[in-house]
Amino acid sequence: MNKNYQISDQAELEQLIKRYFDGETSVQEEQLLRVTLADCPWSSEVIDDARFTMGYFAAHCQETERVAKKNNRRKLIGIAASIAIILAAGGYALWHQQQSAGVCIAYVNGQIVQDDDKVMALVADDLSKMDNASKAMTNQLSSLGEALELDNE
Amino acid sequence: MKRITIITLAFLLTTMAAMAQTGLNINRLFDGRYKKAAGATEIIVTGVQAREIGLTVYHSLSVTDKSQAELVEGLVVKDGVQAVDKEVEYRNGQLYYGFYTMKKGKRDNRYIFYLNQNLARKSPKNIVTLIYMEGEASADKIKKLIRK
Repeated sequence: MNKNYQISDQAELEQLIKRYFDGETSVQEEQLLRVTLADCPWSSEVIDDARFTMGYFAAHCQETERVAKKNNRRKLIGIAASIAIILAAGGYALWHQQQSAGVCIAYVNGQIVQDDDKVMALVADDLSKMDNASKAMTNQLSSLGEALELDNE
Repeated sequence: MKRITIITLAFLLTTMAAMAQTGLNINRLFDGRYKKAAGATEIIVTGVQAREIGLTVYHSLSVTDKSQAELVEGLVVKDGVQAVDKEVEYRNGQLYYGFYTMKKGKRDNRYIFYLNQNLARKSPKNIVTLIYMEGEASADKIKKLIRK
């Protein structure tokens, strides 16, 4: 069928409608039928019924499509939410586990040290330095005390 | 994916450890700036390892850069003003040693140690060390801890 073909009279249109409901039309003929029904001024029982039925189906199809899209969107949102919940729960569990285990990390001259023993050795070194300084201060105080005692004798 | 998760968790945990000093001026020093700095050592210990030494948080910083040392001293002295108890020693007008008991945090006691080894009489070293400790331990217990 020619792409630009147009139905010339009411009888031809009714004939096409009959063929359509008999399932004998091609896709192109169906398109032609829809366009003609939407535009033509002809009216008869057959034409009006076809107009109503095809219009209804078109609207119904659009509605069905809209509902399907909505459902798909809802499904996608549901899936995304489920994934987010699973990731959050997994992340929290891992975080909780890590937090219970704790952090034992050192950065020395820009280098990361993750070996627990090495980090704890660094901690011990820090504490030892503080101990020495604290002792020095205590010694100084006791020397001062002794000096005062001697002076008072 | 696993790698990203581990890096994210490490970041979160170190951030949380850094946040332990909330409300203190020294908190500014634990913003991660020294993690990649030459001449600086930053140590963060929490969880099991910290509990082994009677703490919940151990966070320390050692710097060799003089300008950084001045910054550390300045912030420690500022926090020292808010301390509920302190032992300090000044040498040549500079803070040599400080042990500060800070106002209790949400649950735990908080302590700050400071030492400027530049001012040591015996073999001075170009190192300034700051330690922040948090835990249930009393000040006496903390002093015992450093003597272990």
